[in-house]
Amino acid sequence: MSEEKINGQVKIIRVDDIDTDQIFHQSLLTIHDPEEIKPHIFGNLPGHQSFGKENNENKIVIVGKNFGKGSTRQQAVTGFLAHKIKAIIGESFGPIYYSNAVNAGLLLIEAPGILEFKIDDNDTLEIDLSNAMISNENKGTAMKCKSIPKPVIDIMKAGGLLELGEKTEF
Amino acid sequence: MVGFTLVEKIIRKHTESSDEEIYPGNIVWVNLDLVTARDYAGPQVIDLFEKHYPGSETFDNKKIIFTPDCYPYGNDPKHAIDQEKLRVFAKKHDIQLTDLGSGIGSHLLFKRGLSLPGDIVIGADSHYNLLGALGILGQGAGDLMLAFAVKTGKYWIKIPETVKVELKGDYKWPTTVKDLALYVLKQLHEYGITGCSVEFHGEIISRLSIEERVTLCSLITEASGSIGFVAPDHITADYYKQFNIEIDSISADEDANYSSEIMIDIQDLGLYLACPPHPHNVKPIEEVVGTEIHSIVIGSCTNGTTLDFQQAARILKNQKVNPNVRLGLIPATREDFVSLNADGTMTTILEAGGNFFGAGCSTCAKGQYGLTGGKTTVSITTGNRNTQGKIGPGDVYLASPVVAAASAIEGKIAIPIKEYEQMGDE
Repeated sequence: MSEEKINGQVKIIRVDDIDTDQIFHQSLLTIHDPEEIKPHIFGNLPGHQSFGKENNENKIVIVGKNFGKGSTRQQAVTGFLAHKIKAIIGESFGPIYYSNAVNAGLLLIEAPGILEFKIDDNDTLEIDLSNAMISNENKGTAMKCKSIPKPVIDIMKAGGLLELGEKTEF
Repeated sequence: MVGFTLVEKIIRKHTESSDEEIYPGNIVWVNLDLVTARDYAGPQVIDLFEKHYPGSETFDNKKIIFTPDCYPYGNDPKHAIDQEKLRVFAKKHDIQLTDLGSGIGSHLLFKRGLSLPGDIVIGADSHYNLLGALGILGQGAGDLMLAFAVKTGKYWIKIPETVKVELKGDYKWPTTVKDLALYVLKQLHEYGITGCSVEFHGEIISRLSIEERVTLCSLITEASGSIGFVAPDHITADYYKQFNIEIDSISADEDANYSSEIMIDIQDLGLYLACPPHPHNVKPIEEVVGTEIHSIVIGSCTNGTTLDFQQAARILKNQKVNPNVRLGLIPATREDFVSLNADGTMTTILEAGGNFFGAGCSTCAKGQYGLTGGKTTVSITTGNRNTQGKIGPGDVYLASPVVAAASAIEGKIAIPIKEYEQMGDE
């Protein structure tokens, strides 16, 4: 995460309370290779089962409340990195999912009100990280999001938690 | 100066950050008392540790425990290989390992006195926060966090806001703490406690045993909360005396800064089930009574304790499980198995037609997944998660061991009134 501004086309998953078994089902837990995880993302989320097999590269995914609630499984984060998702913007995130994502370098943006923000699939969004702003380039609208805490930025800039552990004495 | 909530006090004792940095939303580094890993995620933790920190020692091998518990059957050869990897690493680094059949890690930590009130402990288990029942800050963590913690003993935490929950009133058998936990889950999910710490207060708390408190705290994850706490009291102190441990007293300050305070009226609470497709879809039993059921599982880190099986046995005594129902029972720990064998509970349930399976996790993490059956199977589990498609393709309800036992007899969701009258209150 070197850039201060992130751009990408939007994919909206307008669902609250998506849990990790809907993102990456428990029957697949022995799979750890990111490329093998990739096609299974949202494999148990009615209406979105095809997500894993589509090309979502460089997209920004938008989700509802409590995204990623449920288990600690790291694969539910790894799969989005395998898809080269630029960021996930959500109304809110499950606390374990939030830390798993930060530790792996997946950018999560907490933006209460994002589902009321006028936005359609494939609109282009810009996330201004330093000013905590999200703007819709197609609609010419903008909204505030929560700013990203400094320790999170430090971990993400290091390329992830384990990389931070390699570079810094703890 | 404003005082601290329980979670803030625990964090404060484990961090080099100053008091000014202890406020909700801030992220601080803490020193861990214990790091655990299991047969799910543990092998990845070992791989990541060895890849990123080759040749390194762990931060403190006496503060790490491996608890293979997810796959008690080893029902996939891959699990056997993963479990072996834990044993090899544990031997190399002289790390304690509670091997297959010992039980669920989160439960072993309190059943064996391995973790104490006021501690911070992490593991690859999203229900580690059930340790809040003993005033332990238990948190679930992913592979990366655990591998980092095994190396450094450190963990970062976003300090949660604290919601004070006053439980007002009392309930009577056949309502049990699972009904309370489900009812509270419904209220807290509606209220919105994402990422929050919850402190349970109210007269009822002083009447709940450690096992009951664990059940109450075990459903906070399903409301997307961070943890639910019962502040350590005389019941907690008495509990630790069996290990000859005197616990430190720890509680929220009188002037603690709560983000909100809510009261939940539980007077004469009825029976509740979580209905498909989400744990928070909680309904009174009257709305679903009569629904045909084919598979029933009593066990998991929610309702897998001795007390839970004793309550089920109270219903099942001299009764027969309906021939259309399969009843599976999975005690959380070996200690629970021993107690159930000693007091005759196991015999009562076996005679009624129940089947016991190895101590450990239940249907949640694939290990004993097959128990819930195929597409046409409708299940009840006493566990904590019924997300559609998770533990079987059919519908899944969450209920108390008492409702599960009554439903096992009837072959449909049943109110345990008749049995209650037969058996009489204790």
